[in-house]
Amino acid sequence: MDKALIPYLIESEPYYRETGNEVELFEAAYLHGLPMMLKGPTGCGKTRFVEHMAWRLKLPLITMACNEDITASDLVGRFLLDTHGTVWHDGPLTIAVRFGAMCYLDEIVEARQDTTVVIHPLTDKRRLLPLDRCGELVKAHPDFRLVVSYNPGYQSAAKDMKPSTRQRFGAIDFDFPEASIEAEIVAHEGKVPFDMAAKLVAVAQQSRSLCGRGLDEGISTRMMIHAAHLIANKIDIHDACRLAMTAPITDNRELLEALNGFVEAQFGLELE
Amino acid sequence: MKTDNVFKPSSLAKRLAVLQGIDKAAYVALQNFLSSIDGSANADDLTDLVDLLCQTFTEEPAGTLALIERLDGLVPEPVSVKVLRRWALDGLQRHRTAHSKRLQYFETSDPLSFADPETQFDTDHILAHRSTLLHYLTGFGVSDLQIDLHAPQVGPTSPKRITVSNDLLLIPQRWSGFSANDLHERKLLYRAAVAHAAAHLQYSPQHLPAGNRHPMLLAMMGLIEDARVERLMVEKYPGLLALWGRFHVATRDSVGFDLNGLAARLARALHDPEYADNNAWVLLGRQMFEAAATDLHNTLEFEIVGRRLAVECTKMRLPFDANRYCVIPAYRDDNELLWDFNTALPEGEEDTAALDHFELRKQKKEQLHPLREVETNLQAKRHYPEWDYKLETLREDWATVILASRPRPKNKVQRFINSHGRRNPLRFNSLACIPDRSLRLKRLYEGDEIDIDAAVDSIVQRAGGLAPEPRIFMRHGRRRRSTAILLLMDLSESTKRFVPGSFISVLDIEKRAATLVADSLDASRDRVAIHGFSSNGRQEVHYVSIKDFDDPFGPEQKTTLKNQESHLSTRIGAALRHASVVLKEQTSERKLILLLTDGEPSDVDVFEEDYLVEDAKHAVATAKALGIDAFCLTLDRNADSYVRRIFGSRNYLITDKAASFADSTVQTLVKLIGK
Repeated sequence: MDKALIPYLIESEPYYRETGNEVELFEAAYLHGLPMMLKGPTGCGKTRFVEHMAWRLKLPLITMACNEDITASDLVGRFLLDTHGTVWHDGPLTIAVRFGAMCYLDEIVEARQDTTVVIHPLTDKRRLLPLDRCGELVKAHPDFRLVVSYNPGYQSAAKDMKPSTRQRFGAIDFDFPEASIEAEIVAHEGKVPFDMAAKLVAVAQQSRSLCGRGLDEGISTRMMIHAAHLIANKIDIHDACRLAMTAPITDNRELLEALNGFVEAQFGLELE
Repeated sequence: MKTDNVFKPSSLAKRLAVLQGIDKAAYVALQNFLSSIDGSANADDLTDLVDLLCQTFTEEPAGTLALIERLDGLVPEPVSVKVLRRWALDGLQRHRTAHSKRLQYFETSDPLSFADPETQFDTDHILAHRSTLLHYLTGFGVSDLQIDLHAPQVGPTSPKRITVSNDLLLIPQRWSGFSANDLHERKLLYRAAVAHAAAHLQYSPQHLPAGNRHPMLLAMMGLIEDARVERLMVEKYPGLLALWGRFHVATRDSVGFDLNGLAARLARALHDPEYADNNAWVLLGRQMFEAAATDLHNTLEFEIVGRRLAVECTKMRLPFDANRYCVIPAYRDDNELLWDFNTALPEGEEDTAALDHFELRKQKKEQLHPLREVETNLQAKRHYPEWDYKLETLREDWATVILASRPRPKNKVQRFINSHGRRNPLRFNSLACIPDRSLRLKRLYEGDEIDIDAAVDSIVQRAGGLAPEPRIFMRHGRRRRSTAILLLMDLSESTKRFVPGSFISVLDIEKRAATLVADSLDASRDRVAIHGFSSNGRQEVHYVSIKDFDDPFGPEQKTTLKNQESHLSTRIGAALRHASVVLKEQTSERKLILLLTDGEPSDVDVFEEDYLVEDAKHAVATAKALGIDAFCLTLDRNADSYVRRIFGSRNYLITDKAASFADSTVQTLVKLIGK
């Protein structure tokens, strides 16, 4: 492995609790060099899954969080100046392609559609990255893999992938795991007893039934883990839930009161 | 009231003349009443009273006549005109479809039930919390339930507990046995009640035939069932134990030894294992319940417990009064959900022998009239509230907006070529634009950031001995905010008349303005809809969509626009409310309602001067809260007095020149979009 990639290697195993056969599916896709698309609500474990798979497959992982300002040259690289003149600098995508790493484009729909088009020649049979600026044609390393993720829930119609981009990917649909598994995850990550985690999950599940009634998305696994951390650090349960779970997801007073009611339905009355 | 008795004959006389115009008999009856109380009421109140009677008369003539007969000794003492108004409007709304019930309401119902200010406070508090409670209920998996209030009643039969049915949760204004002025405590009670109702809906068998079971037996079985479903619920939501526990406060000293008290103590004993009670009956109940509780889903076992408890009660000869029995603690419902009082029990299951020496009380339960099935298009009717400024409350679902159905062309997307081209695309100043990061202006002489690629090129050129390119900056572009404009045309009768000083009708001018607006806006950026309205009383606000946001302004839309005719009246508030609902669904960044009208709001069933103006004002404020701005263009030279009140001081324009109306409309629009 090229030494350029060493900082991107994941050393210890990132915790990931499999909820279905997604690990098996991902490995199969890996064997066939199929680019993968992960979709699912925020905080359900997409990024953690990618980290876990990179560790499992012993691939370096290069992550890019996409935003509107990202240009194609931010991905593939550009000429910069040094004392001797101009020097070509590979972008993160080119490094991954050249030396064989897993390139993860997080929230890909946030990038502009014309930016994401640069991945097209990489994601079909050709597996090529043409660098027109420096006249180079980079052939993808056999270990190069592309993974993108996005949240289909709240993106507006304006922010969507082109069908030509979409159709290059295999996709795995993520969702929050079922209650007992989710509680296991919260207990492990938040370092709280299982019973406590199960109660947090029950609150979250009640909140998820309010989706589309004012809430865009319910309380996520990540938020519960934050709350669990606070609780493990001896913060009052009601305060912790309000800080990490209910208050961040809505500004609507009525919804907030209902959400705090769900906390009360698990943990009892708040001391005055 | 007597102190301030400045009589204003003109105002009152004017209203009386209105009433006289509506109905002679009512006028005569009211005259008799007025002469009987002459001097004991102040003139403003009387004016309000006549206003109210005018309104009720248009909707319920017979009831109003009956009401006038009853007025003596009722108004102004003990019932003030304001309370009477609240009572009458509640009746009109509650029984808006059932004529006979409405008449009965006006003939017999007691307005005193609305007189208690505390009840009113409670009512407002509950209604303000309704959406929270609905959200809360949804969290327990019950999403199709509505929450409403019991009809207020006075006397011992008034409902004191919530009633749950499959689609409605009725909350009483007053909960007996609970009087917390602490608002926090109140919210806890609501939540406890709603959680209890959710438990029933989830776990209780519903609508079992009650047959001729004795009411006491039903009460005992209900008590056991309450405890059972709460146990089940607590398994899933352990925190509810504490929430409910807060209201289990019965003790031997506080509730006593009558049946009601014992039941409350048993309820507490079943809820709280630490509660100690040494009454034999309570102990028996607790012991049997705990024995049965090994399997909480076995309802049969629990039924046996209920029966046994009832039998023990009769042995103790405790009197039971079904009218006085009231479930304690206060959050529990009256268990109407559990029983179906109209179906007889299947043969062989009637074993009330032990209770036979009690008087069997027939449960009064009205058989519901089977509703006539009427074919209506539900899509085409919307209900909207109206603001009653005298009571300072929203009258819920008061106005009905009827949407005109419009035949849709078969091929939906119809390419339409604008033959005479766009007349004059609007020009906007730069203020109308906002920065947009996705627009990048590159290779500029000056800008916010260095365009790295251009800079590198420039330095390479300099190193190569060429003249360096000086344009090495970039910045983000600006774009105009997308706007959705809803043009609301007043199609009332008065728009038929000619604009003073010309031979063109108001309606034609409105049409001309609408055409100009639709033609001159850039369809790729701005969305325009043209809607019109006219009204015929609160039940009939006609609303027509001439051009929707998604339609092109093609020949079909132009024909529809041309075919609009003037008729009926102007109920602005309801039209504005519907327009804001339509606009709310648009995703544009800026949303505007532009009302084209020729006069102040009026309608056939409203006789008060300010009612519709205040309602329209409220509608504008509501729209504003949704991020929708409303603006009014009027042809009424004397509009100053009311448009300013409705739309606010800078949101209206009065033009009285026919020729320039269309142009002013467009100019106004440019200003509004640029704001």
